[in-house]
Amino acid sequence: MMNRRSFVKTVSGGLAGASLAGLAPLGTARAVPPSDQIRVGVIGVGSRGKWVMRQMLRVPGVRIGALCDVYEPRFAEGREITGEATPVYTDYRAMLDAEARTLDAVLVASPLYVHDEHVIAALDSGLHVYGEKSMAYSLEGCNAILRAVERSGRRFQIGHQYRYAPWTQEAIRRIRAGEIGEVTHVFGYWHRNNNWRRPVPDPNDPALERLINWRMYLDYSRGLLAELGSHHIDIANWAFNELPVAALGTGSLLYYDDGREVYDNVQVTFEYPSGRRMLFSSLLGNHHVGYQIWIYGTGGSIQITLQDATLYQEPWRENSAVPADLPREGVTTTATLGAQGDMPYRGPGYRLEVEDRSADEVAIEAFFTALRNDERPVADERVGWGSAIPVAFGHQAIRAHTRIDFGEHVRAANLEAIYGDA
Amino acid sequence: MTPRPPARHRPARPGLWVVLAGGLLLGTAPTGPALARPDSLFHQSRPAMGTTFEVYLFAPDRAAAGTLFEAAAAEVERIEATLSTYRPTSELSRINARAAREPVTTDPEVWSLLERAFDLSRRSDGAFDLSVGRLMKAWGFFRSEGRFPSDAELAALPVGWQHVRLDSSARTVAFDRPGLELDPGGIGKGYALDRVAALLRSLGVQRALLGLGGSSFYAIGTPPDEPGWKVRIPDPFDRERTLSTVLLRDASLSTSGSYEKFVVLGGVRYGHIIDPRTRRPVPDRLQVTVIAPRAETSDALSTALFVLGPAEGAALLDATADAQALFVEGPPAAPRIVPLRWNATPLPASPRPGAGS
Repeated sequence: MMNRRSFVKTVSGGLAGASLAGLAPLGTARAVPPSDQIRVGVIGVGSRGKWVMRQMLRVPGVRIGALCDVYEPRFAEGREITGEATPVYTDYRAMLDAEARTLDAVLVASPLYVHDEHVIAALDSGLHVYGEKSMAYSLEGCNAILRAVERSGRRFQIGHQYRYAPWTQEAIRRIRAGEIGEVTHVFGYWHRNNNWRRPVPDPNDPALERLINWRMYLDYSRGLLAELGSHHIDIANWAFNELPVAALGTGSLLYYDDGREVYDNVQVTFEYPSGRRMLFSSLLGNHHVGYQIWIYGTGGSIQITLQDATLYQEPWRENSAVPADLPREGVTTTATLGAQGDMPYRGPGYRLEVEDRSADEVAIEAFFTALRNDERPVADERVGWGSAIPVAFGHQAIRAHTRIDFGEHVRAANLEAIYGDA
Repeated sequence: MTPRPPARHRPARPGLWVVLAGGLLLGTAPTGPALARPDSLFHQSRPAMGTTFEVYLFAPDRAAAGTLFEAAAAEVERIEATLSTYRPTSELSRINARAAREPVTTDPEVWSLLERAFDLSRRSDGAFDLSVGRLMKAWGFFRSEGRFPSDAELAALPVGWQHVRLDSSARTVAFDRPGLELDPGGIGKGYALDRVAALLRSLGVQRALLGLGGSSFYAIGTPPDEPGWKVRIPDPFDRERTLSTVLLRDASLSTSGSYEKFVVLGGVRYGHIIDPRTRRPVPDRLQVTVIAPRAETSDALSTALFVLGPAEGAALLDATADAQALFVEGPPAAPRIVPLRWNATPLPASPRPGAGS
């Protein structure tokens, strides 16, 4: 079986682990003049990379200048999206060496375990980076990206597009305005009813299976928590306005014992310094709840989905307006015992009205606006760190079926600045 | 390492039999030795694009088929999320909302689909026209309210392919009529089937039949030991009767019809397919079926030919490589069957086209 290092070598053309010190062109961030074309190189032309490429090509003045993937069938697929004979590379170092001068930014949409390698190399080549989530596989990788952004002076935006979703922004605005009272809990779900596999053209090629279904293997993947949980953690961090410091996790391989190493259902409780809790569940055997984030407060709840947000007041608040004529009209007795108090609320909520724009559309347009205006992106490397670290430790807690305290790492990173705007 | 065989999710035993396209019996084979076992037929249907997306494919086992179904469904979902005007965040909705104010940059896939669609508008003299969004809404209102839109209302609608400006150098779309809306109805389902077919082929699938709502099909290869995937074209007045049976192989078939949604007013039958040039439903045409190499072509051409009719549409059909069409013309009391170049596939069923009904 290929171990992590040897696979990295394959992916990176044998240069994995080589020191990048000295390659970094130091200097301040370079804003792209608004009239100019922005050229983007892509590392990782898989399903997410292709989706983001299409979205980028809908922004005026953006062009995809180079494509890199270790799986060569992706080249034709990528060129079909760009609509031109875009230069292609199997080695990301070769792409950066040859194209860094012609590119302004890099989209990193490679497998999780090589995010840090690709992001840091792009930054150190003087390029801005749009990096897919989760930011990096390990604590060391996440910290190295923070340092690389700082020393390169380049911009980094993490693929937490729901930070930019109009309905999420409106939900947070309502929370900050106190509309659901004191926020106490976030419950996040991403449940699916499928095997979470991608088809492999040659099922008898185990290396190809691991390349395409890298999410199934622990050397490359943090499983469901990383791939389906990091948006939920990011929004919990934002709603709570703090970062978690411990994780209690578990999971099992229940339905799909098909050679995969990651669990097919996971449950994690994240502890925040204030004592608040975020619960996350992902499973592959039932679709009923789908993708939902519930933000609970003492005065109400907000449900966030992939396309909208709905606010529910706590029932007793609505009932607290006593009819003025009650003393005169009195009340009526019946023989029915009311169990309603503990029944789930089944009525409608108040859908938050926002502009009809997709999260990806707004997030990717905002990335290029940030580059043109020389501004720090809203979902920057610190936001990425804030969900990637709970993912990394939460995953360890799941595998060990235990509680892991990672507060010292959170305090050492000293990121409170971005969570102090309550 | 070699993945272990799935512990669960084996094909049902004995095989589940499905009747496909009027008489062709296919089934999942009972499980047997792993070596040299022939592929089995699997089927999945899901809601998509306001109708049902169907996939029939041959695969080694249920797990492999399930993974392929997921990939196919994800691609249909991607196309729907890009083109559907029922989704306010789709790319086509974004274009509709903005293109009258400023040229809208879109990605090469969407831009070239629009370019091909408006090229067909030119070639069909406006019989095929994606700019009918407002027109479709006006007549939809008519159906629910039971009245015609007035001549003045129809004349004032912002409709017409001449008002859509495509700029290839900037890859932009612009409307020179405020309120104009693109409607992907004539091409979106066919395009989705082509994309799914390309995806499944790239994943090694050699035998599959894809369908959206029964109105468009695409066939990859053939079932084992069969000359093609059998698709039955029914008589629009007696759905049990077969007008023609097509054996489809690496080709697509689409049907446009007015027999399910229509009204009769003043002795004239009006279906739900609207002629963009008159802004009124096409009278006295019942059904048009088109076979073409790509589903985008058969979908769009069946709409265009429904509007044009066999006489006016013959030149357009002749100009389309490897396309053939079968018309059922009204009035309902005396329908006529008109085949155009309808000879590329065997027609074993009776009655044959042209025999009347």
